[in-house]
Amino acid sequence: MQKLFREFLKGIIKENPTFVLALGLCPTLAVSVSVINGIGMGIAATFVLVGSNIIISGLKNFIPDRIRIPCFIVVIATFVTITELTMKAYAPALDRALGIYVPLIVVNCIVLGRAEAYAQKSTVLNSLFDGIGMGVGFTLALILISAIREFLGAGTLLNHAVVKGFNPVLVMSMPSGALLIIGLLLGFFNILKKRRA
Amino acid sequence: MNLTQFLTIFISAVFIYNVILSRFLGLCSFIAISKETKPALAMSLSVMFVTTMSSIITWFIYRFLLIPFNLTYLRTISFILVIATFVQLVEMIIRKIAPPLYRFFGIYLPLITVNCAVLGVAVLNSDMFFTNNKAVTGSFYYSVFQGICVGLGYTLAMLLMSGIRERLDYCDVPEAVKEFPLAFIIASIMSLSFLGFNGFKF
Amino acid sequence: MKNRLIVSVSPHLHKGESTSRIMWMVVISLVPAGIAGVVIFGLNSLWAIMLGVISAVIAEGALQALTRRKITILDGSAFLTGLLLAYNLPPKVPFWLPVVGSFFAIAIGKQVFGGLGQNIFNPALVGRVFLMASWPKYMTEFTKPLNYDAITSATPLALIKEGKVFENISYLGLFLGKRGGCIGEVCILALLLGALFLLLKGYISWHIPVTYIFTVGLFTYIFGPKGLFSGDWLFHVLNGGLILGAFFMATDYVTSPLTWKGQIVFGIGCGLLTAIIRLWGGYPEGVSYAILMMNGAAPIIDRYTRNRIYGTK
Repeated sequence: MQKLFREFLKGIIKENPTFVLALGLCPTLAVSVSVINGIGMGIAATFVLVGSNIIISGLKNFIPDRIRIPCFIVVIATFVTITELTMKAYAPALDRALGIYVPLIVVNCIVLGRAEAYAQKSTVLNSLFDGIGMGVGFTLALILISAIREFLGAGTLLNHAVVKGFNPVLVMSMPSGALLIIGLLLGFFNILKKRRA
Repeated sequence: MNLTQFLTIFISAVFIYNVILSRFLGLCSFIAISKETKPALAMSLSVMFVTTMSSIITWFIYRFLLIPFNLTYLRTISFILVIATFVQLVEMIIRKIAPPLYRFFGIYLPLITVNCAVLGVAVLNSDMFFTNNKAVTGSFYYSVFQGICVGLGYTLAMLLMSGIRERLDYCDVPEAVKEFPLAFIIASIMSLSFLGFNGFKF
Repeated sequence: MKNRLIVSVSPHLHKGESTSRIMWMVVISLVPAGIAGVVIFGLNSLWAIMLGVISAVIAEGALQALTRRKITILDGSAFLTGLLLAYNLPPKVPFWLPVVGSFFAIAIGKQVFGGLGQNIFNPALVGRVFLMASWPKYMTEFTKPLNYDAITSATPLALIKEGKVFENISYLGLFLGKRGGCIGEVCILALLLGALFLLLKGYISWHIPVTYIFTVGLFTYIFGPKGLFSGDWLFHVLNGGLILGAFFMATDYVTSPLTWKGQIVFGIGCGLLTAIIRLWGGYPEGVSYAILMMNGAAPIIDRYTRNRIYGTK
């Protein structure tokens, strides 16, 4: 049990997909305009990650090594399609806000990366916890970035005004603001890493 | 179908909604391979080729397979499979008939399969140039042109970034932002400067 | 016996020029335009200029202290950045705007790259474009010239963009700066005086400004409002931040190409982008965006216009 918990925990800090492994940055930057979008994207990606991790680790003895990447992609794409259709049916507003970035979860490096680096050599149970851990780590990173961007760019958090009389820094809701924030955050984590070492 | 439409696609795909600087597609390769100009250029040309070809192929699949058989919900899965197969095929063909070309481009091709820009442009095309499951007039030409322009936008960002990063080798950059963080900050300033093209009208 | 012979490497004769001296010379050459701006728009603009300069210098010092580098706030470069940023602001801005802009310009435009001489983009323009994207409301509210009651008025370029025509502005008025606009960009006469000083002293070369201004003039003349070859090129040259940008910002040593061939390409590029944004873009003015974009392209231009070393390919 403790081991499983460790599998879960490593995705959140030690191997955080966004800040440590620098994977899956495209959706992170694109949808982090508001916290709601960030959480939505995080949940969608976590679902795909957990689902594909389970199936791939379960099928690891049946997938021929040479064509494993296409096989992984088919599995992942299936889960993405499920997510897409579910979202269209039950959360159409979120679906519109996330736009093409929902189908693009297929090529999110985190998902394929975990399939290749972890799920294909691990047990189903371990992969399940790895998937949850990575998903939660990704979601937390998204929440952090989107909270910063929503607060600075619109002066709100979860669509509620936080500070009165604050002139929002509009650029933070624009693409260049996303790039700037991620650059500064990565720099900040670099400093933290140096301090600890 | 008219010239203005093409110009609009060009300006928006290359500058306003630049794949990398505004849509963030292909960001991983942009950050990873833009350290030197030569590989950056090789990667860009490969991406441009693949975005163009995949625009063509996925258009046909969407128009003549998915729509008639009412299978549009299979868009994601069919597009990614076709793109992966196509890239694999190109890799094998190049290796067979043009070994020097393979040495130049070969290592970048497998990376392109999972390049969001390629799938992104295919999905965008099917979103923009089909309404209610019907191809708009000139849909095919727009799709192909958008494929080319997305590749051009990628090339532009890549070329500028690699030039800048080559120069940064001689700079005394603060330890904390070395490499990746600074690359993002530069991309951010480039993205700011491309804002100048916002609201373009002919 | 002490050896009195000192063996050192060339150059043995020093001209007495230094980066710091050049920076202060550029600052001096910008003084007339600043005075003109204050005369035209009132004391408000003086406060904006002072705030911009002071906060740029403070930001530079603070960041250098924070990163444990040598503190060089007296070399004039931060002063110049703050000054140029303030010149690119509308006369009546809230007081925090130049402060935030200068801080951003120094931090993101300059210090993350390692400081003086290493930045890729012109820091003042990075600051301005950041302000423009963040608080467009304050950045596009201009006041009437020679009228100190702060009556708002659009710039001539913005009026053109909205499709309005006006006849009551004369070219002489534009030349002297009688129009709405940014603090330091309006008085062409004062700017040209400063530019002439820099050119004669050899601090800047003619290649970038001349090709830049010529390209904008030619392009706006060709693509006029009433068909080809009907444009009012003089209007476009005298308006907006073209003169300020072409002589004082595009010519920045660090962010422009090294060789004259490269500089000509750079100037033409700036001109084309400026004219395209003015004629068809969403913003009335494109000088800062054009120069920033070309700053980004300068390393690539340098790469392809390098002087060939004799005997090599």
